Amino acid sequence: MSAPAVKDHPIHRRWIGQSMKRVEDPRLLTGRGKYIDDIVVPNMAHAAVLRSPHAHARIKKIDASKARALPGVLLVLTGAEAVEQTGPLPCFANPPVAQYCIAVDRVRHVGETVAAVVAESRYIAEDAVDRIEVEYEPLPVVVNPGDASTSKGDAVLHPDRGANNIAHQRTLTFGSYDEDMRSADVIVRRKVRWPRSGAQPMETVGAIASYDEGTRKFTIYANTSMYNYVGWLMAVSLKIPAHKLNIVPTIAGGSFGSKIFTHKVLVLAATLARACGRPVKYVEDRLDNMTSCDNHGSDRIYELELGLKRDGTMLAFGMKVIDDYGAYLQFGVGHHGNAAAQLTGPYRIKSARIELTAVFTNKCQQGAYRGFGSEVNNFALERIVDAAADELGISPVEIRRKNFIQPEQFPYKIPTGNVYDSGNYGAVLDKALEMADYDGWRSRQADARKQGRYIGIGLASCQERSVFSSTEFWFWNHEPGFALTSSPESVNIKIDPTGKAFVTLYSPFWGNSPETMATQIVAEQLTIDPSDIEITYADTDQGLMGTGPGGSRYTVMIAGAIAGAATDIKRKLFKIAGHFLEASEQDLELRDGRVSVRGTDRGMTIPEIALQAYYFRLSLPDDCNSGLDARFTYDHPYTTQPNADRTDLGVFYPIMGHMCHIPIVEIDIETGQLTYLKYVAVHDCGTVVNPMTLAGHVRGGTVQGIGSTMYEHFYYDEQGQLVTANFADYLIPTLKEAPPNIEVGHVVTPSPFTEYGIKGGGEGGRMGVPPALASAVEDALRPFGVKIDTLPITPMKIRDMIRAAQQRKG
Amino acid sequence: MEQVQLTLTVNGTRYSRPVEPRCLLSDFIRHDLGLTGTHVGCEHGVCGMCTVLIDGQTARTCLTFAVQVDGAEITTVEALGTPAKLHPLQQAFWEKHGLQCGYCTPAMLLTAVELLNNNPNPTRNEICEAMSANLCRCTGYQTIVDAVESAAAAMKGEAR
Amino acid sequence: MKPAPFQYVRASSIDDALAGLAGHGDDAKVLAGGQSLIALMNLRLVRPAVLVDINRLSDLAYIRQENGTLAIGALTRQSAVESSDVIARLCPLMAEAIRFVGHRPIRNRGTVGGNLAHADPTSELPAVAVALGATFVTRSQKGQRTIAADDFFVAPLSTTLASNELLTEVRIPVWPAGQGWAFMEVSPRAGDYALVGVAATLRAADGVCQSGRLVYSGVGPRPIRVAKAEQALVGCSSGEATFREVAEIAAGQVEPSSDFHATADYRRDLVRALTRRALMVALDRCQKGA
Repeated sequence: MSAPAVKDHPIHRRWIGQSMKRVEDPRLLTGRGKYIDDIVVPNMAHAAVLRSPHAHARIKKIDASKARALPGVLLVLTGAEAVEQTGPLPCFANPPVAQYCIAVDRVRHVGETVAAVVAESRYIAEDAVDRIEVEYEPLPVVVNPGDASTSKGDAVLHPDRGANNIAHQRTLTFGSYDEDMRSADVIVRRKVRWPRSGAQPMETVGAIASYDEGTRKFTIYANTSMYNYVGWLMAVSLKIPAHKLNIVPTIAGGSFGSKIFTHKVLVLAATLARACGRPVKYVEDRLDNMTSCDNHGSDRIYELELGLKRDGTMLAFGMKVIDDYGAYLQFGVGHHGNAAAQLTGPYRIKSARIELTAVFTNKCQQGAYRGFGSEVNNFALERIVDAAADELGISPVEIRRKNFIQPEQFPYKIPTGNVYDSGNYGAVLDKALEMADYDGWRSRQADARKQGRYIGIGLASCQERSVFSSTEFWFWNHEPGFALTSSPESVNIKIDPTGKAFVTLYSPFWGNSPETMATQIVAEQLTIDPSDIEITYADTDQGLMGTGPGGSRYTVMIAGAIAGAATDIKRKLFKIAGHFLEASEQDLELRDGRVSVRGTDRGMTIPEIALQAYYFRLSLPDDCNSGLDARFTYDHPYTTQPNADRTDLGVFYPIMGHMCHIPIVEIDIETGQLTYLKYVAVHDCGTVVNPMTLAGHVRGGTVQGIGSTMYEHFYYDEQGQLVTANFADYLIPTLKEAPPNIEVGHVVTPSPFTEYGIKGGGEGGRMGVPPALASAVEDALRPFGVKIDTLPITPMKIRDMIRAAQQRKG
Repeated sequence: MEQVQLTLTVNGTRYSRPVEPRCLLSDFIRHDLGLTGTHVGCEHGVCGMCTVLIDGQTARTCLTFAVQVDGAEITTVEALGTPAKLHPLQQAFWEKHGLQCGYCTPAMLLTAVELLNNNPNPTRNEICEAMSANLCRCTGYQTIVDAVESAAAAMKGEAR
Repeated sequence: MKPAPFQYVRASSIDDALAGLAGHGDDAKVLAGGQSLIALMNLRLVRPAVLVDINRLSDLAYIRQENGTLAIGALTRQSAVESSDVIARLCPLMAEAIRFVGHRPIRNRGTVGGNLAHADPTSELPAVAVALGATFVTRSQKGQRTIAADDFFVAPLSTTLASNELLTEVRIPVWPAGQGWAFMEVSPRAGDYALVGVAATLRAADGVCQSGRLVYSGVGPRPIRVAKAEQALVGCSSGEATFREVAEIAAGQVEPSSDFHATADYRRDLVRALTRRALMVALDRCQKGA
C-alpha cells in the first residue's frame, strides 16, 4: 500500500469541534452505569483465587479437602484439574509462552493463581481459599533483569524456550548508523532506568461467565475491549468452537490499556462456570489486580547514544535496552514495535539502532499501559537530547528547534520506515513557550536562586503516535508467526422509520468517549440532531471487526467507519428523495436533516424518507430494497508491510501527534518535595472533535504521567515479593499531588490521511510528562550538578542526590 | 453463619435485613440492596470509591461493617438526582467534564455534598482539601474542582 | 478481600463492652471507628475471634473542660475534634495535627481513642499526646486506672493497655497561656501515614527560649521525644540560629529505620527540616499569644 490520497477536509462543521457535553455522562453521574460488578445473573456463584506467596516454586501437592468441606463451597479447582478442560491462554509472542488461567505445576511470580474456589458468596470463597494447603518447592528467584542471560537450571522460567531467561534478543539497524556515528563530532552517552508502574484503573477486571448446557454455549459479561478483534482466541483456550462463545461487553471503570484483553480473568471465569454448572462471577480485588493482572507497564534499562555535529545537528540515535517482561510474554515485544514508530522523535535523525534484550523474571507480566512503550522511548530520547544540550552548551529550546522536522517535509519517513503524516513542531514549541512565559520564568528563576530558592523549568517536545497498525505486534519476532495486518474498526448505522439514528459500536466504553465521538460525527455526517442518535454496543455474536480503543486510535477509526456507513445511507436518502421529488440526485443536498433540491424549498426530511424506505416498497425506485441502514468496516488508513530483514519496518503508526510540555517547579531542597508553579501542555492532535474531552485526556494523562514520574512503582524485593501491592504503598497521585492548573493549548495540523484530519490524543499526556518533569527537576537542582536518569523521582531520591552532591563538595 | 438483624434507612427507604456481622457496608448496599452506584475500588480504605453519607457524613463503606450502622440514615448517589433531573452537582460535573470513566464520580459527588452542606462558600483550596479524599485515575482532578466550584455558585443562586 | 468471620458483640454500656472483652485475651478486639482495624481485617492480616463494637457508647463521645484539664472521650470522632472550638482554644496543637489524620471520611468514623490505642508510630495523635503529657483513663472489670501517654506506647501497634481493658478518656492539661505550637509532617501523599511528623511546643519570652517539647512520629517504634533537643532550647535566644542547632541535635538523636518509602537518612533530613520550621512557627505563635 502506497501513501493514501490526501483527503479534503471540509472547513464548515456544525458538530465537530464543539465541546458538547458527553452522551455517556447522565447514567454515570447518577450511579446507573452498570459496570461488571453491577451485573447480576440468576443463580450466580462467586469465585476467589489462591495466590502464590512464592515468586518461583514448584507446586508439589495441593490438599483442598478442608476447603471443599466448607459449607457453601461449590468447587475448588487446581491447575492440574483445570488443564483437563482448558488449554493455554492466548499468546501473541512467537514462539508462544505457555500460560494457564491457573498455574499447572509451577508458579513464576508472587500472586500467580494456584487454585480457584467457587462458593455461594465471595466471603465464603475467600474462607475456602484460606483452607487450601499447598506444598511448594521453592526455586531460585530471578529478580534482576541483568541476571537473565546467565540464569541456568531451575532458575530458568521457561526451559522449553531456551537455556536461560532471555525471552527475545535482536538488534535492528536503520540507515547508515555506524557511518553516521563515525562522522559525528560528539557522541553523547547516557544510562536511563524506567521502572515498572501500571495503569491501576479504579475498577479492576472482572467477568461473569455462564455455560448453557442446552446450547453448549458460553455467555460472558466482561469489561474487556478487544473482544471483537481477538475474543475468539479465548474459545480456543476453552477448547470450544468460536461460535459457542458470546462475549458481552460492559462499560469499564477505566482501562488506560489495562483492559485490552483481560484473557486471564475471562478464561478463568468460564472454566469455573463450566466446571461447577453455575454462572460464576470473578471480579479481581485490588490485590488480585496488583499482583496478577496482565498489564504491568514497561520496565527498562537503557544505554543510549546520540551522535551530533558540534553545532547540535543530530545524526544518529542508538540504544541497548533490556526490558524486564516478568514471567510471561503476552504481547510479545510489541512495546518495542510501538516505540519504533517514533524512535527518533520529532527530530531529523538520519539513522538509528536498537539492541533489544527482553528477559523473563519472577514478576507479574507486562501488558499495555497508556503509551505501550513509546512513552519510555520519549523519556529516553528527551533525556539524551537534554544531555546533548548540556554537553554542547546549547539551550534545550534551541537544540530542539534546530533539529525539528520542518512542516514542508511531511509526509516524513523516519529511519525505522514509519511515516509521519504531518506536523508543525515549531508552532507547538512557540505556543508552549509563550503560554509558559518561558523567558520570564528564566529571569525569575535566576532571581530566586539568589534567594536560595530552587526553581526548575522543564521542557519536552515529544511525539504522540496514534492509530496503531497490528504489524507492530510481530515484526520484532524472528519468525513472524501469525503476521496479521488488519486492525479495522466497524460501525452499523440504522435510521429507523421515525428518522432516529441507531449506531452500533463494536468496541466498548472504557472511560473514553465513544458515544460522544460517534454522536458528534454521525450528527455531522447525516445532519441529524445529537438528541436523535442512540448508541449501542454489540456483543461478539453480533460483532463486526472492531480492534477497539488503544494506541490512540478509536476516534480516528470510528470517524472513518461512520463516514463510510453514512456515505451509503446518504446515497439511499438521495435516491429515494430524488425519486419522490423528481429531481436528479446531483441537484440534491442534505442540510439540517432534510434532503432538498438545491435553490428551491422542495425537499423531504430524513423521517419522511425513512418512513417511505421502511413501509412503502412499491413507491420506491425499483433497485431500492426496504430499510435504511448501512454498515462499514474501515481499515487502517495507511499501513505497509515491513521488509524481510527489518531494516525497514514499514508504515504502521503514521498519524503523528506532537506535544510540548513545560512544567515549572520549585524544590524544597531540605525535604526534597516539589511544588508546581506552572504547568503548560500544548498538543497537536490534528482536527479536534471535542476540545473539552481532548483537554480531559491531556490533563488526566498528565497526572498519570506525574504518577509514573514522581510516585508510582511496582517494586519487587530480592525475594521477588511485590512490596507495593496495595494502594497505601503504590502511590497514585491524589488531587494534592496534581498541579493545580494544567494549562492546555492546541495547535491544529490536520492529518492528510484521516476523516476530518483527526489524529488520536488519548495517550499524549502520559507520554510527555516524564521527560518534561525530569528536566524540570534537573534544572532546579543544577547548582548541585544532579542528573535525573531514573524514575520515580521521589523526594527521598532528590534528597539523596542533594546530600551526595553536598558531600562531594565537602 | 451467625446473622444479625439490621434495620436502617437508605435514601429515605427503611430496610430490615439479616446480615452476617462481617458483611461490609459496601457489599450490603451494593449486593443486598442492589444499589450499585456505590463502587468498590481497593477495599482497604485508600481510594474512596465506596464513599457514602452516614447520617450526613462521608464514610468509607469498605471500612464499615453493615452491623455498625444499625438505625443510621444512609445516602448514596442514587438519592441525588436522576438522568432526567440532575442534582446541581451532577449537572456541574457534566458541564465541566468532571468525569471520564465515571467510577469515582458517585464518591466525588457525595464528598462534595458534605463539603457544601458544611460550607456553602468554599474557597478553591477548601474544595481541593475535601476532594483529595478520593482518587480519580482519569481526569487529573482539575475539572472536578471546577465542577464543585461551579455547583457551589449555582446552588447559592438557587437558595436565594 | 473480605474479612474472616468473627463473633460480634454490640456493647450497650461500658460494662457490657468489658464483659465482651473478658475471657478472650488477645482474640477479642474493640471495634471503634474501625478505620485501621477493618482495613487489616479485609486483608486478613488481623482475624479477631470476637469483635466488641463500642459505637453505641455515645456517653464516651465528648469534649469538655474539667478543672484545668481537657477531657476527650475515647469514642469522640476525629472530625468532631477537628471542628471543636474547645479543642481549638484549649489544645491548638491537636487541632492542627488532627487534619493530617487520613482524609475527612476517615476522620468522620475514626475515633480519638481508636487512633491512640492502635498505636501506629507514624500516627499524629500519639505524638501529640506524648508532647502534651496526656494521661489515658482506662477501664477493665477490675476498675479504672490512668496511664501516662509516655508509658502507654510500647511498640508498633502495641501499648500497655491490657487485652481486657478499654481506653475511655484522654486527659490533657489545658493550654498554658503564651505557649506556642506547631505540628508538621511529611507523608508520601496527602493523607498518607507520615514519613516523619513533629509535634512541637515552645515557650519563649524576651528573646529567650524557656522550654519546649519535641516529639516525633515515624522515627521509632513509638512516638519519640528528644529530650536532648528540648534541653538545648532552654536559655538560648529564640530564633532561627538556635532552632537550626536544635534541629541538628534532634536529627542526630533519632534512630529511625529504613523502609521502602524512606531511608533512615531521609527521615533524619526530615527531622532536621521540620524541627526548625516547627519551632519557627511555634515561636511566631508564642509571640502573638504573649
